[in-house]
Amino acid sequence: MRPMKVSLFVTCLIDIFQTDVGMDTLELLENLGCEVDFPEKQTCCGQPAYNSGYVDKAKESMKHMINVFEHSDYVVTPSGSCGTMFREYPHVFKGDPVWEPRAQMLADKTFELTQFIVDVLGVEDVGAKLNGKATYHTSCHMTRLLGVKEAPMKLLNNVEGLEMKPLPHNYNCCGFGGAFSVKMTEISEQMVDEKVQGVEDSGADILIGADCGCLMNIGGRIDRKGKPIKVMHIASVLNSR
Amino acid sequence: MMGAGQVYNRNSFLDNLAKNLGRDRRRQVEKPAWNHNPQWDVLKDASPDELVEVLKQQCLRIHTDVHETVSAELPSLIPHLIKEYGGKSVVTWDDPRFDEYGLSGLTGELSGDEIAVHVWDCEVVEENLAFSATADVGITFSDATLAESGTVVLFSDKGKGRAVSLLPVIYFAIIPKSTIVPRMTQVAKQVHDKVEKGEPVPSCVNFISGPSNSADIEMNLIVGVHGPVQAVYIIVDDK
Amino acid sequence: MAMKIGDKPFKERVSDGIGNSFMRGAVSSAQGRLRSGRLNAAEELGNWEEWRKLGEEIRAHTIENLDYYLELLSENVTKRGGHVFFAETAEEANEYITNVVKKKNGKKVVKSKSMVTEEINLNEALEKAGCEVIESDLGEWILQVDDHDPPSHIVAPALHKNKEQIRDVFRDKLGYDKTEKPEELALFAREKLREEFLQADIGVTGCNFAIAESGTVSLVTNEGNARMVTTIPKTQITVMGMERIVPTWEEMEVLVSMLTRAAVGQKLTSYITALTGPKQEGEVDGPEDFHLVIVDNGRSKILGTAFQSILHCIRCAACINVCPVYRHVGGHSYGSIYPGPVGAVLTPLLGGYEDYKELPYASTLCAACTEACPVKIPLHEHLLRHRQEIVEKEGKAPIFENLSMKAFSMGTASPSMYNIGSKLAPKALGAFAKDDKISDGPGPLKNWTEIREFPAPKKDRFRDLYKKRKKERGK
Ligand code: SF4
Repeated sequence: MRPMKVSLFVTCLIDIFQTDVGMDTLELLENLGCEVDFPEKQTCCGQPAYNSGYVDKAKESMKHMINVFEHSDYVVTPSGSCGTMFREYPHVFKGDPVWEPRAQMLADKTFELTQFIVDVLGVEDVGAKLNGKATYHTSCHMTRLLGVKEAPMKLLNNVEGLEMKPLPHNYNCCGFGGAFSVKMTEISEQMVDEKVQGVEDSGADILIGADCGCLMNIGGRIDRKGKPIKVMHIASVLNSR
Repeated sequence: MMGAGQVYNRNSFLDNLAKNLGRDRRRQVEKPAWNHNPQWDVLKDASPDELVEVLKQQCLRIHTDVHETVSAELPSLIPHLIKEYGGKSVVTWDDPRFDEYGLSGLTGELSGDEIAVHVWDCEVVEENLAFSATADVGITFSDATLAESGTVVLFSDKGKGRAVSLLPVIYFAIIPKSTIVPRMTQVAKQVHDKVEKGEPVPSCVNFISGPSNSADIEMNLIVGVHGPVQAVYIIVDDK
Repeated sequence: MAMKIGDKPFKERVSDGIGNSFMRGAVSSAQGRLRSGRLNAAEELGNWEEWRKLGEEIRAHTIENLDYYLELLSENVTKRGGHVFFAETAEEANEYITNVVKKKNGKKVVKSKSMVTEEINLNEALEKAGCEVIESDLGEWILQVDDHDPPSHIVAPALHKNKEQIRDVFRDKLGYDKTEKPEELALFAREKLREEFLQADIGVTGCNFAIAESGTVSLVTNEGNARMVTTIPKTQITVMGMERIVPTWEEMEVLVSMLTRAAVGQKLTSYITALTGPKQEGEVDGPEDFHLVIVDNGRSKILGTAFQSILHCIRCAACINVCPVYRHVGGHSYGSIYPGPVGAVLTPLLGGYEDYKELPYASTLCAACTEACPVKIPLHEHLLRHRQEIVEKEGKAPIFENLSMKAFSMGTASPSMYNIGSKLAPKALGAFAKDDKISDGPGPLKNWTEIREFPAPKKDRFRDLYKKRKKERGK
């Protein structure tokens, strides 16, 4: 069989801050037999501007990204939130005769990492090994807007040595919300504290997530509070051997 | 005969709505057939006995006592229940069904126990309310009964005062089995059909599901606020 | 109490809310219960999504044809001898109502729960006209007795108070001498209010759904107070927001079933009362006179805009009950009688951005509200749309943000600019970093690092590592 051709969209947070997550994603996909490329002209999905109401400005980066991934078969991203943003593009360009169809093409071939592995590759056990007790944060955009609920759990349940603990009140937002985290810091603090409390109550010593924004938020708070909880992106967990 | 009411400011108000909706006033609108109709699926194939079961189960959840009887027993069961619930004064509808089910002798039957009975009487306006306000038990028949939600539906009318099911401390609803339908959908359809045929809708249709209650204090359920504190349903085989 | 509550700036209201541990405890446990109640009720139906689609269809059709259905409603009310007043403003509504009350020589007005009468500040108008006004919903009554404390929730207005506080209010204001047991508090209210009902000459109600085909108004309650208000007084005045209408009994039924499930997880509330005109000849109880007041008060401005679907709202509060922001800041923080997600969308539309421009930002866009809404209003998208209007149409965004967004679009729309910017990040932030993290960041990072660590940018970006790897593999 011809190997699946996948274009990696790493997101700006991973490009600049969490490079190891990018590497893990790359290796994971390659190990699963995909031919992975990284279109170097990629920047950001536009979400920071879009969610702050700067739609016109966001559209500029959206158009750029549509161009960048024009020739890809599949676009895979280790971020539920940025994946959701790509899927939203047709909505943003609604009524635009040129850009709406192009946006639709990008949306149709974009997948969040775990969604791609389970739904497209049809793999539920990636052969990962990791010892520990872990809990999983269901990020809001990935769960509610992208509708990816089962895939991460299927994959995590098959990681050898990993004991998954339910996260109490997992449906609650962690309080990140992009600009919200710095605009409404006081409220954000209450929300992230509630989330950290939930993680502690779960009895896990590893917190896993599929969105770097949420993980930077929860992880940053865990770190500040000096809690003995390790924070890992799901790509890194699935790439553990 | 009652005169027609007045309407004020209608045209300017509605013209403005139409303008904002970007069109002329609509004088005729065809209501579409809805694409989804899940309400008709609820308890669709339930038999009458199954509906009774559903009703009874739901009553457990809405703090409502249920008694089942056959029509021959009803005339003795009702006085018995009134006494059992400690009723000293009783108000009932003036409804031919009381006669049909052999309940017209209630007054006499209870007088020995010094229990006062008032039958709704549209000739004496104030007395009805005054009596109901202090009555222990109010009794009506159910005009339609919803199994799913444990609801009795009452259509107001001359002899069928609204206060009977509202002001007394305890409310008894007599439910002929034939009045039980799956849910609110069937009754709403009935009324809608009436409207379509140009028949008048009762001035007050009450859907009553158990005793009054409130969760306004710390979301704790309190049973018995302004309406009855207790609700009792008596399901009876049809005559 | 008009729509606006309190004069403090938003930040201060939020701090007050967050500092109020009583309130937060009460709200949090209520949210927990309401959430599971709603989910259970939805699960029991098995096909909740079907219901939501039907709910959305009904609401969209009705609002799209609102002028037609309101006309039909008013025709049918008058056929049954009721009067209908269309009020474009709060003032017009209040004037009409006070005139009716004066003509009837009304002294005592009992009210059942109604948000729209709060919105138009009817109580004050009636009191000015010399009437005594009594709220009869238990929660509303508690607030009224407590010197008109504003409501903090559209279904459970006194949600922010615990039972001890309620006991103290009753004791201080009404000489109550029993315990804080909810049953005893409620019994006290029953006895006090029973007298008021029996003496009242005017009953004022809100309206959950008016039914156009028959000129009916339906009221959804648990306590029985709305039945009292419409059974005993000789005059009934019903006030409805103009969008609270359905075509026929069949749609009323569907939406009531959804409202009670979404609001409190009940299959039906204890009482659904559907009233058509005044009492009929020969009937003993019920009003002799019936007036329906249909209120616009800014709603029509929403018609025909991208926000139109907020008028589909059936006021169930499901969005409020799942909102994490609401949970932490409480209802009063929104500065409006309409709090939570629905309030953050509706309040700026009715009250303007001047007073309410922060509300659309008081959300992480987590979409819990959108997921919960029984009639599928895309609440988080409306919040986003507000932000867009504030930025692009109103030009009300802070200058600093404007500049950084300009930089953002330059930096992300052009790969070379992005390249330079991202490459500079480690240098720019390096000075602040220690042990791979930043604990006291500059500029907008300051707020971030006030409560959490921020990762230091890596020396090599992913794209640099990727290039290296590719080169190594290539040879
Ligand atoms: S917006 Fe939706 S969820 Fe919120 S109150 Fe209205 S109908 Fe209920």
